[in-house]
Amino acid sequence: MRLGIAVDSRMCMACYCCFTACKDEHCGFASKLSAAQPMMGQFWIDVREWERGDNSRKIKTATVPTLCAHCTDPACAKAAKNDAVYKREDGIVIIDPEKSKGQKAIADACPIGAVYWNEELEIPQKCTMCAELLDDPEYLSYLGDAKLKKPRCVEACPNNALLFGDLDDPNSDISKYIASQRLTQLEALAGQETNVKYLNVPTVFLAGTVYYPAEQEEVFIGAKVKVEVDGQTFETETNYFGDWEVEWLPKNKDAKITVTADGYKPVSYSAKTDADHYVDSTYLSK
Amino acid sequence: MAEKITHSICVGGPIAIHTVDGVIRRIRPIIFDNNDPKGWVIKARSKVGGAQDAEYTPNRKAQPAFIALTEKNRAYSYDRIRYPMIREDFVETPDGKNRNTENRGKSEYRRASWDEALDLVAREIKRLQATYGKETITACTGSHHSWGLVGYKLSTFARFFRMLGYTEIKDNPDSWEGFTWGAPHTYGYYWRLGGTEAFDLLEDALQNVETMIMWSHDPDTTRGGYAGNESTMWRHWLDDMGVQFIYIDPYNNFSSVKQADKWFGPRPGTDAALCEGIAHVWITEGLYDKEYIAKHGHRFDEWADYILGKGVDKTPKDPKWAEEETGIPAADIKALARRWATTKTMGGSGLRGGFGGVCRTANGTEFARLMVQLFAMQGMGKPGQNIWSGTTGAPMDYNFWFGGYSDPLSQIANQPIADKTAVNPVTQKLYRPNVPDAILDGHYEWYGEGFCGGGIDLEFTEHIYPEPGYNKVHMFWRYGGTFMGTMLDTNKWIKMYQSPELEFVVNQDIHFHGEARFADVILPACTNLERYDIGELCNSGNGGYQSHSQTGNSWQVVVFQDKAIEPLWDSQSDYWIFAQVAERLGWGKDFTEGRTELDWCKRFWEKSDLCERISWEDFTKKGYYVAPVPENWERHPGFRWFAEGYPCDTPNHKPFQEEGKLGTFTGKFEFVSESLLYFAPDDEARTPIATYKPSWEGHRSIKARKYPFHLITPHPRFDYHTQHNSSTPWIWEIPENRKYIEGNPYLVARIHPEKAAEKGIKDGDLILLFNERGSVLCVARVTYRVEVNTIHAYGSSGIYNPTVPGEASMDIGGCVNILSPGKLMGSKVPGMAPNSTLLDVVKYEGEVPKTQYFEYKLDKVALQADPDAETCVEIIEGHGFEKIQAKVKAAYVGKVSE
Repeated sequence: MRLGIAVDSRMCMACYCCFTACKDEHCGFASKLSAAQPMMGQFWIDVREWERGDNSRKIKTATVPTLCAHCTDPACAKAAKNDAVYKREDGIVIIDPEKSKGQKAIADACPIGAVYWNEELEIPQKCTMCAELLDDPEYLSYLGDAKLKKPRCVEACPNNALLFGDLDDPNSDISKYIASQRLTQLEALAGQETNVKYLNVPTVFLAGTVYYPAEQEEVFIGAKVKVEVDGQTFETETNYFGDWEVEWLPKNKDAKITVTADGYKPVSYSAKTDADHYVDSTYLSK
Repeated sequence: MAEKITHSICVGGPIAIHTVDGVIRRIRPIIFDNNDPKGWVIKARSKVGGAQDAEYTPNRKAQPAFIALTEKNRAYSYDRIRYPMIREDFVETPDGKNRNTENRGKSEYRRASWDEALDLVAREIKRLQATYGKETITACTGSHHSWGLVGYKLSTFARFFRMLGYTEIKDNPDSWEGFTWGAPHTYGYYWRLGGTEAFDLLEDALQNVETMIMWSHDPDTTRGGYAGNESTMWRHWLDDMGVQFIYIDPYNNFSSVKQADKWFGPRPGTDAALCEGIAHVWITEGLYDKEYIAKHGHRFDEWADYILGKGVDKTPKDPKWAEEETGIPAADIKALARRWATTKTMGGSGLRGGFGGVCRTANGTEFARLMVQLFAMQGMGKPGQNIWSGTTGAPMDYNFWFGGYSDPLSQIANQPIADKTAVNPVTQKLYRPNVPDAILDGHYEWYGEGFCGGGIDLEFTEHIYPEPGYNKVHMFWRYGGTFMGTMLDTNKWIKMYQSPELEFVVNQDIHFHGEARFADVILPACTNLERYDIGELCNSGNGGYQSHSQTGNSWQVVVFQDKAIEPLWDSQSDYWIFAQVAERLGWGKDFTEGRTELDWCKRFWEKSDLCERISWEDFTKKGYYVAPVPENWERHPGFRWFAEGYPCDTPNHKPFQEEGKLGTFTGKFEFVSESLLYFAPDDEARTPIATYKPSWEGHRSIKARKYPFHLITPHPRFDYHTQHNSSTPWIWEIPENRKYIEGNPYLVARIHPEKAAEKGIKDGDLILLFNERGSVLCVARVTYRVEVNTIHAYGSSGIYNPTVPGEASMDIGGCVNILSPGKLMGSKVPGMAPNSTLLDVVKYEGEVPKTQYFEYKLDKVALQADPDAETCVEIIEGHGFEKIQAKVKAAYVGKVSE
């Protein structure tokens, strides 16, 4: 059994239920597996949100609830002395609140900043995947079904943006869901095997709008748009608003965009995929 | 000791409460177990690329908003009013004069015993009513600072004050003004306060809709009112099917920025111009349902002439004209109009369930009317063509009745819950937005009855204060929440409180909200978790309101709101407080009818259908009841009866009317309003033909030369009214909400990068928002998500923190309503317009005020009572919370072992 959480960025509406449930569980309450989370300053699940786009004509946000990834080969464990960080048989990574005292290196080692340093207690702290609750046979026994027991953040998510289950079981809901989605490891964890699976975390988009010559005041529907990046070609057409958009582009490359429409001169642009860009409002001409 | 699990319900949704040894351990959503009924199943289209049919059913749990999960924190909050308190320089003069009223807002407080405080309140009530008559007392509540049929303001509060006799303060429909005052003149539905009927439209949408117009609508933020996150998944289902979401809002709001296929940001207050531009395209290109309009439209051609430039102003409302006003390119307006007209389109527009900001602008009535007209032009009521905001209309069992809070049948003020109905003998009234004007000027006139669900004519009733034969008001009993963050031009509330006209002010609340500091006596009430109550998720009742708001949920859940813990500190339940005062006035027994709160809870079970479904014992043991939806539930799609011409079958509460007719004078969609021609033909804000009129405080006002930015203050995403930011520091750390700097949580205000560059403002800078009404210090978020002339900052700030207490000084609490105009929408339109506010903004380079949280004055009182008491800062940042819990636990365990 390997317990994991799937985080689906597309389904996350940044409603902060996971964030609040986690604070509710851990702030002010210690368990066998962790000291109490301070009332402020730590976010064992942190709804990281960034704006995508550089123009009001096309602007989106990406939201990624970010928690300890429970890595297979955790960097924090390597940085730890006297086995202060250990991996349970179910795959959950735990920082021992006593053995880790004074070991700031454990917090500093986390590539995604999911381990927090508690100045007052001088210990590193992070998500336990609510293992202390999963271990407790009394907890939620009143529901009469052990399958209803989940980490607090997952239980509180109204939109199935967080799923919990056994990654080793190919028939578990979480395994089936992961198989149906775009698996997108966080950049800072590239190449790492982790038990928290980040899904549908976007890369970058390029977008634009195509119009007939300005004096006509009409959007152009059905113009062909070709985006060439890093040897790959992405093709699309403008929609009913004259808009085009290409998502999931490889990052930090040069892109060439060509807009063609029958009877009009083709227009081309160059852009970079360093970040999300609205390329231009294109006014065609004969 | 094992955990005890009880249940409750709050504005954020239903919750399970775990307690251990008399303290709350955790707050969880209710997870349905295998004994709870199956959820409804809707058969509809599959996802894009999927097989032919698919089935949709909700998650087996209640889906509260994050604010519901802060209830533990709110109970042990730093700003709990812990003890009864009396203003230090209050003098109980026998004539009510010379009471240092000018110091209200500045004075300190001392702790009082309950007896001292209640005796004083009772003495003052007797003195004032003997001197001036019953009408000399007025009282007012915020909305929804608690949930439950016993504790809600229309129940316990109303019972007490109606028995006492008082000058009632009428609420304005402050969340959807324009729809109340405008839409009934186009299509009736005054019985739903201008909102439409959304019965069974979720199924209709899943099966038919192709485009969703989300106009001034942020469902993931306003959460359908009190439905938590119950409907979020529905919109994801639609999105997965390839339904196109078009959002129109000066702020690319949180629902939009994650889900929109297209976002338009019109200049604030110009939405009605965009409506007219769309209509122009439809009329010139013939893109509307001519047969439907010929049959159901009244005087359409006259309106069409106006749009085409054949009206009095000889100006065609073409897309180019609309571009001038809105800033949206004409080409885009044409594309929007065509997409809407050529696909099956539903949409929301800020009426109940959506609560967008446009209906709270100076032109809000006209926007609401034009929205209805546009949906009518596309055959409103046909499959996939309707006003539907994506937040209501889930299947439900219409034959199961458990009352909602506005049902007169579901209030302890009335029979049959009470043995005797409480009746207020005083007819004099005040109107909430203008209470300070009335008190300060001693005279006020206005139209309307606040919520005018009883008839379109009620909008035009005339009121004067004082009523002939009545005296003025000299005592104000304020209960729950604060208007500093929700009413407008709120510095005038300070002046009111400091006026000697108010001889005595009482504030009864759970938390130390912005208005509590102006009271002479402060009475500490306990939270929902510390007393008994009973209620249904998102059921607002039928009392001249909207019926069946529970269809905004995926599940219909009635909750026994068990008492999880004993009242903390000296706090007591509202019911206890009112009963004690009634006792001192000599009618305690009449007030309680000998019932405890738990007895009252049982009355609601007994008088509703709940008693036929589950025994009292089973209900209170399990803690909640989920009403099953029959497999083949009755379907009554909203408005379908009208579009298809069969007798009205929707389970509305509505006046009798001729079959097949709307609630307008003609029974049709009135493009020229006969009711306005009859009641108010000279109304300058609401003309017989609904038209775009530039705002009296907008880009065409003289004021714009001095204050060029347009402030919009929509309903908050990170709060509910004013109730969570003040008590829950966790949510100060949400970057889109606030930024905690040196002990003060500054509110985020959003500005466009172009304007920020002009002003030298960088993301994260402190910025001062100001106009002639006041100034508020915020933290800048520089973002392309706002229209270029717009400053966006959420309204309803729970924190009010003027740098000079008791004066109209700079506020660092984020109380942006200080800046909004107190003016009503029109001389005959008594709605407020917070989104018609002009101001300027500057990078703040002055001294950052040293934290002087007024709440910290509570520390003094707390430390007097107990030298070891936890201070506010300690509860916010340190171990105060743990210390409180340890003390309560020790007392509890001691008691149990005795």
